[in-house]
Amino acid sequence: MSTVANPAIKDRFTPKSFGEGVVRYAVIIALAGVFAFFSFATSTFLTSANLASILVNNFTLLAIIAVAMTFAVSAGGIDLSVGTAVDFASFAFVSLVLSGHSVGLAVIAALASGAIVGLVNALLIAGVGITPFLATLGTLFIGRSAQQLLTNGGNPVYLPQTGIPPLFGFIGHGHILGIPVPLVIVGLLIIAASTLLFSTRFGRVVLAIGVQQSVARYSGLRISGHIGLVYVISGFVAALAGIILTSTVSVYIPNSGNAFMLNAIGATFIGTTLSREGRPNVPGTVLGVLLLSIVANGLLLTGLSFYWQQVGTGLLIFIVLAASFLNRSSRSD
Amino acid sequence: MSSATETGNLALALRQLVKHFNGVQALSGATLEVERGTVHGLIGQNGAGKSTLIKILAGLYQPDEGTIEIDGVTHERLTAHDVEKLGIHFIHQDRLLVPSFTVGEALFLGREPRLAGLPFLDRRAIRRQAEKILDKYFGLKLPANALISELTTAQKQIVQITRALLDKPSILVFDEPTAALVRREADILFDLIRRLRADGITIIYISHYLNEIEALCDRATILRNGKDVSTVDPRTTSAAKIASLMVARDIEEMFPKTAATIGKPALTTNALTKAGKFRNVSLNMREGEIVGLTGLLGSGAKDLVRVLFGLEAADSGEIVIEGENGRPRSPAAAVARRLALVPEDRRGDGVALGLSVAENTTLASLKRFTRFGFLQSNREHSEVDRLIEQLAIKTNGRFAPVRTLSGGNQQKVALAKWLSRQSSLYILDEPTVGVDIGSKVEIYNLIGKLAERGAAILVLSSDLPELVGITDRILVLYRGVVTREFISSETTPDAILAEATGALDLRSGEHRNVV
Ligand SMILES: Nc1ncnc2c1ncn2[C@@H]1O[C@H](COP(=O)(O)OP(=O)(O)OP(=O)(O)O)[C@@H](O)[C@H]1O
Ligand SMILES: [Mg+2]
Repeated sequence: MSTVANPAIKDRFTPKSFGEGVVRYAVIIALAGVFAFFSFATSTFLTSANLASILVNNFTLLAIIAVAMTFAVSAGGIDLSVGTAVDFASFAFVSLVLSGHSVGLAVIAALASGAIVGLVNALLIAGVGITPFLATLGTLFIGRSAQQLLTNGGNPVYLPQTGIPPLFGFIGHGHILGIPVPLVIVGLLIIAASTLLFSTRFGRVVLAIGVQQSVARYSGLRISGHIGLVYVISGFVAALAGIILTSTVSVYIPNSGNAFMLNAIGATFIGTTLSREGRPNVPGTVLGVLLLSIVANGLLLTGLSFYWQQVGTGLLIFIVLAASFLNRSSRSD
Repeated sequence: MSSATETGNLALALRQLVKHFNGVQALSGATLEVERGTVHGLIGQNGAGKSTLIKILAGLYQPDEGTIEIDGVTHERLTAHDVEKLGIHFIHQDRLLVPSFTVGEALFLGREPRLAGLPFLDRRAIRRQAEKILDKYFGLKLPANALISELTTAQKQIVQITRALLDKPSILVFDEPTAALVRREADILFDLIRRLRADGITIIYISHYLNEIEALCDRATILRNGKDVSTVDPRTTSAAKIASLMVARDIEEMFPKTAATIGKPALTTNALTKAGKFRNVSLNMREGEIVGLTGLLGSGAKDLVRVLFGLEAADSGEIVIEGENGRPRSPAAAVARRLALVPEDRRGDGVALGLSVAENTTLASLKRFTRFGFLQSNREHSEVDRLIEQLAIKTNGRFAPVRTLSGGNQQKVALAKWLSRQSSLYILDEPTVGVDIGSKVEIYNLIGKLAERGAAILVLSSDLPELVGITDRILVLYRGVVTREFISSETTPDAILAEATGALDLRSGEHRNVV
C-alpha cells in the first residue's frame, strides 16, 4: 500500500531494448528528424547561409540563457528571472556606453548587473528561504516594474549611429578567425559551464543538492552558500546574452529578455532526457537549444505564421518531455 | 524441504519466478507458497531478492518468468490496481508517504469521507476517524493534523500500517516492518499481527530478526541468491540452522569483541539541555570507546543526536569535541570537526537514491579527491571500489544508482560515506537496520576496527541484544534525562529495557509521544 508511485521502479542503466533506446536518445532522434524534414520541405533550409543564420540568430542567445537556467535546475530549483538579468545587463551596457565610458567598463558593469539580479534571488532563496519558483518570479515582477520606471514607461534606449566605439559592435558582429564572436563566446561558455558542473567539486555539490538536499546537508555540505552561488552564476551568465543582444541590435528594449525564459526552461528539460538519471546537463541543454533553434528557423522558412511557430515549438517540447516521462515511469525492462 | 500441503488451502503461490535488472539477477526461480490464515516468514540476506519477490506480487515489477497464483487463480499480468482489488496490501520497505500531507490526509488518501454526499472533504471527520483508528490499533495518539514530514520514522510507519488496515485486507505483506520500531512499538505490532491472523488474514512477514520470525511465524521460506532454499517451521528449527541456511556458512560469533585501547577524551558534554527534549546530559566518551545510547520514542535520545551533529541548537550546556569547546552550529561544522552521523532515516537523509554508489560514498569527503577545485575521478573511484569491497556492498558497479541496491546494501553505502571521510567520532543511529545477519557481523567487526584505530563511537539502537553485545557501556535516557549508565559486559537487555521504560511507569501503560 503506497501513496505515491514507487520510485524504485525506475531502473535504467544502459538502454536495453530498442524502445528504451529511442526514448533515451529522443533529442538526437528528434534533431535528425526535424533536420531531414526541413531539408526536404523547404528549398532554403539546407544552405550554408541558412545554417549559419540558425547558429547566429536562433541559437546563440537562447543557448546562453538556457545554460544559465541549467545551473538553477541542477541545484533543484528554477530561475524565472533569467530574462531580467538579460535586460539589466543590456540596460547597464547601453547606459554606460551612451555616457561615454569604455566598452570594457560597460561589459563589466553589465555582467555585474546580471550577477546582482542573481544575488537578489540568492538572498531570497538561500537567505530568506523562499522557494526558487516564487523568489525568481518575484524578481521577474520587480525587475519588470523597475525597467518601466527607468525608461519612462518602457521606452527603448537607442544608441546613435556614430560616435560609438567600434569594439561595441564587434561583440555582436565581429569575427575571430572567421568565427562570429557570439559563437566564440557561446563555445567558451559551454566548455566552462559543463566543466564546472561536471568535473569540479562545486558541480558535484550542486548535483547532490539538486538530487536530495537533506542528504547533502547531512553530509556536511554547505547548502545555502552553494545554492546562492548558483543563482549568482545564473544571473551572470544570462548577462552575457544581454551584452551580445545589445551589441547586435544597438538598442536596449525594456523587458525583452523574458521572451527567452520559457524556451530556456524547455531546452533544459529536453536536455535532461539525455542523461541516464534524468539530470540537467549542459550538453543536453545545448542539444535542446539546437533542436528548438532548427524548428524555429525551419517553421519560419515554411512561411507559417508566428503563432503557428509558437505552437510548433510548444508541441515539440511537449513530445520530448512526454517521451522522457514515459521512460522514467516505465516499468522495469 | 517441505512444501505447502494441499493446493486448495493456498492463499498464494508464486512459482519459479525469475527477474533480471539490467544484467543483475534478482530472482532465479524463487517459489513462495503461503497457506491461508497463516503468518509466513520470508528471510534471506541483503540482496537475496525478498523485496523483489514482494514487488512482483504487488504488481510493481513484471517477472521475466514464473507464475502467480492467488486464491487458486493464475494471473498472467498483475497491476498494482488488480492486486489492491484482490485484497492484498503492502507495507513496503521504502516507506512512501507524501511529506506535505497531514496524518489524516495520508490515512484517507483516495477514500476521503464526504460531507453528507457532497463532494467536499470533511476535515473534522477525517481527523476524528484517524485518531480513533490510531488509538484502536496502536494505542497511540498522533495528532491527525501533524504533517508527515514532522513524524519520526516509526510514526510514519504506524500511519502506513493503519492505512493498509483500513481496507480490510485478505493478505497483508510486511517488508521489514520492525526495522524502524522501538521494542515497545514492535510488541504492539506483534500483538496486532496475531490478532489479524485470528481474524483469518494471511500475513507475509519479511524480517532480518530471527527471533521475530520464531515468535510470530507458522512457516518461513528462506531465500538465497534469488532462489528459495528451504521452507521450515521456525518454531522447531533453531535460529542457528536458519541462519546457516541463509548465508550458507556458519556464523561463529555474533558479537566479535575487540580490544581497543582507551585514549584521550573524544566527546564531552556538560549539562547539555534542550527545553522539552532533554536536560542536563553529561556524556564523556574517549577515543577507542563504543558507547550505547538508548531510550524509548520521545526519550530525547534522537534529539540529543541532532544537537550533537549541529542539526538543531541546544538551549544551554557545552559540547567539547577533541578538546575543542563549542556546540556545532551546523552539520557542516560538525563534519569539519570529524563527526559522522549515520542517520536513522536512511532513504531520506542517509543516502541519495538518485546518486550513484560512488557519488554517495564520497559526498562527505570530496575535498580528499579535489585538486584546484577539480575532482580527480581516478582517486575517487579507487577509494570507492576499495570500500565496496571492504564492506561487501552488493552492487552492479560503482556507477549504479543507490536506488537499485537492496535495503541493507544502501545502509552500507551510508556507512561507507563516513569511512571515506575518515571521521574520528561516529554517531550511528540504528546502524544495522535492515542489514542481514552476515553483514551485521561485518558491520560489528568494522565498528570494532574503527574503535581499535582510535575512533569514538556512539551507537543508538533499539536492538538491545546488539547494543549490549557491541558496546562498552550504555546510557539510558528516560524522559530527557540520563537515568543510568550500564557496563555492557555486566548487564542484560532486560535490565536495560526496564530502565528505558521507566520500571515504575511500565505498568501504568501510559506512553506519550512528542511529535
Ligand atoms: N530496480 C533495480 N534495479 C537494479 N537492480 C535491482 C533493482 N531492485 C533490486 N535490484 C537488485 O536485485 C537484488 C535483490 O534485491 P532485493 O531488494 O529484492 O533484496 P532484499 O532481499 O530485499 O534485500 P534487503 O534485505 O537488503 O532488503 C539486489 O542485488 C539488488 O541490487
Ligand atoms: Mg528488501
